[in-house]
Amino acid sequence: MTIDTLPRLTRKDFVSDQTVRWCPGCGDYAILAQVQKVMPDLGVPKENIVFISGIGCSSRFPYYMNTYGVHSIHGRAPTLATGLKLANPELSVWVVTGDGDGLSIGGNHLVHTCRRNVDLNIILFNNRIYGLTKGQYSPTSPAGLRTKSSPMGAIEQALNPISVALAAEATFIARTVDVIQDHMGDVIQAAAAHKGVSFVEVFQNCVIFYDGAWEPFSDRGIRDDNNIYLEAGKPMVFGKNNDKGLIRTTAGFEVVTLGEQYSLADLAVHDVTSDTNAWMLSRLTYPMPMGVIYQVQRPTYNDLLWGQVAAAKTKAGASDLRALYNASDTWTVSDDGQPAQSGIKGEVPQEIDEAYFAEVMERVHANGDLIDLLSEMTIEDLDPQGPITVETSARMDNALSVMRQKDIGCLLVTSADRHLTGILTEHDLLTRVAGRVENLHEVTVAQFMTPRPTALPLDAPLVEALHLMSTQGFRHLPIVDAHNLPVGVISVRDVVRFLITAI
Amino acid sequence: MTEDQRPVVIQELESVVIRFAGDSGDGMQLTGTQFTNTAAIIGNDISTLPDYPAEIRAPAGTLAGVSGFQVHLSESDISTPGDAPDVLIAMNPAALKASLPDMQPGASIIINTDAFNKANLAKAGYENNPLHDGTLSNFRIYEVPVTTLNRNAVADVAGLSPKEINRSQNFFALGLVYWVYDRPLQSTIEWVNKRFKNKPEAIEANVRALRAGYYFGDTTEAFQVRYRIKPARLRAGHYRKISGNEAMALGLVTAAQKAGKPLFFGAYPITPASDILHALAPLRHFEVLTFQAEDEIAAMGATLGAAFGGVFAATGTSGPGVALKSEAMNLALMLELPMVIVNVQRGGPSTGLPTKVEQSDLLQVMFGRNGESPLPVLAPATPGECFDMAVEAFRLAMRAMAPVIILSDGFLANSSEPWPIPDPDAIPPIPVEHPTQSNGGDRFQPYRRDPVTLGRPWAIPGTPGLEHRVGGLEKSPDFGNVSYAAQDHQRMVNDRAAKVARLADIIPDQTVFGPEEGELLVVGWGGTYGAIHAAVAHAQNQGYAVAHAHIRYLNPFPRNLGYILQRYKRILVPELNMGQLSLLLRGRFVRDVISLNKVEGRPFKISEINKTITELMAGA
Repeated sequence: MTIDTLPRLTRKDFVSDQTVRWCPGCGDYAILAQVQKVMPDLGVPKENIVFISGIGCSSRFPYYMNTYGVHSIHGRAPTLATGLKLANPELSVWVVTGDGDGLSIGGNHLVHTCRRNVDLNIILFNNRIYGLTKGQYSPTSPAGLRTKSSPMGAIEQALNPISVALAAEATFIARTVDVIQDHMGDVIQAAAAHKGVSFVEVFQNCVIFYDGAWEPFSDRGIRDDNNIYLEAGKPMVFGKNNDKGLIRTTAGFEVVTLGEQYSLADLAVHDVTSDTNAWMLSRLTYPMPMGVIYQVQRPTYNDLLWGQVAAAKTKAGASDLRALYNASDTWTVSDDGQPAQSGIKGEVPQEIDEAYFAEVMERVHANGDLIDLLSEMTIEDLDPQGPITVETSARMDNALSVMRQKDIGCLLVTSADRHLTGILTEHDLLTRVAGRVENLHEVTVAQFMTPRPTALPLDAPLVEALHLMSTQGFRHLPIVDAHNLPVGVISVRDVVRFLITAI
Repeated sequence: MTEDQRPVVIQELESVVIRFAGDSGDGMQLTGTQFTNTAAIIGNDISTLPDYPAEIRAPAGTLAGVSGFQVHLSESDISTPGDAPDVLIAMNPAALKASLPDMQPGASIIINTDAFNKANLAKAGYENNPLHDGTLSNFRIYEVPVTTLNRNAVADVAGLSPKEINRSQNFFALGLVYWVYDRPLQSTIEWVNKRFKNKPEAIEANVRALRAGYYFGDTTEAFQVRYRIKPARLRAGHYRKISGNEAMALGLVTAAQKAGKPLFFGAYPITPASDILHALAPLRHFEVLTFQAEDEIAAMGATLGAAFGGVFAATGTSGPGVALKSEAMNLALMLELPMVIVNVQRGGPSTGLPTKVEQSDLLQVMFGRNGESPLPVLAPATPGECFDMAVEAFRLAMRAMAPVIILSDGFLANSSEPWPIPDPDAIPPIPVEHPTQSNGGDRFQPYRRDPVTLGRPWAIPGTPGLEHRVGGLEKSPDFGNVSYAAQDHQRMVNDRAAKVARLADIIPDQTVFGPEEGELLVVGWGGTYGAIHAAVAHAQNQGYAVAHAHIRYLNPFPRNLGYILQRYKRILVPELNMGQLSLLLRGRFVRDVISLNKVEGRPFKISEINKTITELMAGA
């Protein structure tokens, strides 16, 4: 389905039937409203959107979104989101977390999810307090904060979420404020558009346990003098009257007033791809950087993983369980309970045939009509050579002279009652006979053949033979009738010849 | 052949137990594996027990650093790596000292005398040289200066350092044992050629060492007898050698293929489960998505996320990993999503004995989560059965829409046996249904259960109209809205338990080996199968009316298990723990049982179980 054909969705389509149960005045309401408002503009079908959260006030979020969602366990949302995105890369997967959920109990997962660059959108609601458990200090609480668990003041250094994300190699890092609605909408849109992990810190107010934690940056009257709204490639100007800016000095950013001494041209330009720039911004508290602080492109984990799947399929061909089970030394026990010939696996020899074969196959793949043709054609159309057979009890010297006389690469081996029991190929001679057996007159074909070869009926589609040859490295395929009596044999050479005439 | 060549007798044996023991850097695992491969290919039945230290390189020459590999070859169906070695290859004094307690009088010991110097004797804690002080008077000793002989054989291979020369001495020992047991060198030579494809000097050295060991056996006077173990009369078919971890990996990917699904395998490296991850990682062409997570918790979380996304998802770990995963396993139970959790048990508690076998996580997986948290639990009995149980686990997971646990163990994981290669076309497909239409009109009901299985619909993201939320909070039936209502919680707890219990409707009945009723039933589970089976068979041959029931379905139990337990006067439960199945049987069936417990980090010996059986029967 393309975007054009999508029914036009509205904010209402993303509102679930569940009653929202945050405290009145909680900053989460504003974030929810803005996310619901932005969703219709993402160009993603609603059924492809998934919200995954951990535990905490913010983590109730998925219940209120009329999308797919998981309310998981404390700190682990990024792990579920990762598994989900890898299972189905088509999905737009969102992680909703908080300062406790994401940076304390889930710190490890957040860091590793960022560095892997899984294509997820992570929104971290930072209210600098534990709300759901009723007011303990969090990993972003300022030192000295008095809470129920720190009555004499917190004695821990706070974490800086933006610095953490940067150190964790996130490829998109942004910050916004719950009550600055348009700004938040833009940031969320940008996060959604970024291919790779997007980390968004939202300054969010907890009215009950830490009201006003972000007041300088959220209060309508003063925030524009305290925040700098970053724009990629633009000079770093801020202030209610756009009268202040940042210049780069050897020590970092310095705030200057525009006017007599400094003009717009003197200000630092926001290089969104520079990690040095991003690091300095992450440490800045006046003005507080808002917007996209850092954004670079790096291959995503999900693309790389599925890329490996595609590459492996191209190389190894379609999955074949039988071949997988047999990808080891094997041996056969016959009906009398005695071991017959073992099939010790060696390297599949790379011969000129194979390179040429691969080249031809490439041309085949490029030609869709030919695929159809090959599916309709059967092995019979190839007019296979009649089989040249020997019995299992035949002496090897006799078998070899037959191969020499007839100039053939393989012999089909039959039991006394004429049924196909094995195949003796040049490869067998090369790996099992040459240099190992002194007197060929004393040994029998049964000792050196490959037992129970894969065989096809005459009416099998030609593509099946092609598939077996390309995935299993077979250079000869026995053809049998319904009673397992050999009726012919086809070789890679036969197939290649046929393809050349067909292309 | 020269005229004065001494006659060498070839004696036929039914079976033999051989242990290769040396320093953990001596390549004993490789030596044992090569010997096993060759034996398997020429048709012996095999069972192996690798026994190695947890440290990659424990201090050389010490008891802690001894690495052993025991293999049991037989012409008949065998089920254990053997109680006591008939032959020990001791590469140094520590290896000798560590193995002697397991040796029976009369056994043969091939000793690398070059390693029996003062320093090595001291490291092994020998005050006197055991070669000279009578310690070994009960054994048949073959003194072979392996290091010197090997050095002479390999010395003129160009481009080898003295260290590299000595590194090939395990192949000398292997060659010697090949001669003694009349085995062909071919398969090992092929392996060497493949393994050292780009190192011709290493091929040369190892092949020469192997041949030198073989010819040494041929020319020295020390060995008067060669032995031959006839090929086993295995059932007709196509075989390969397989370990439990390999079989588990093949089973997991087979289940996914049989459902037409990718396989997601989220794991964190842990002994002895990592080989499952290693076996799956190269299978990208089967759409196998292996994910090495940052920790055990993330491995479980990602597995859950993948299951929510609609693929076949599994994770593999050991007991300490299950401890970390428990919280997310409980969430998986609450979300009611299908997935498989493999626990390759090792010695516990805590870090415990990482490389040793134990069955002590049964109660952990049954009860080690908060709340009422019943999960299906399966236990393969042999390495090959890990394959069947992996497929079975996904089949049950699909039916119950629940995570299913497989309890393997360190013995099954690393032990090898001949495996009749199954026909993939004969394995039934695993039907999977993802609804595309709402089951409840306007509002899809994610927790509306199938009336028979009590499983819930597996609606996956990307399906229009079925958008829904799931979570770890308790929920209302059908709609799955968050609910703490009294009757809702009771009902959901009941349903989650009932759907697991109802798996008993489709799992096979418990079978019994031996009389259907009588004096004594020996009940086991998991990797102790071989030892129990052999001990019971032996007791039956002694004339005792003893039967063996091996439980592969631990939750729920097979429906007829209670009935079976009633049919015998006494029940003996051998376990490599302190009585965990015993506790379950007592609690579930109100039936007293006799526990035979052992936690020594090693499998049961047949004789240990047989002794208990005969004591009980004699006292009966």
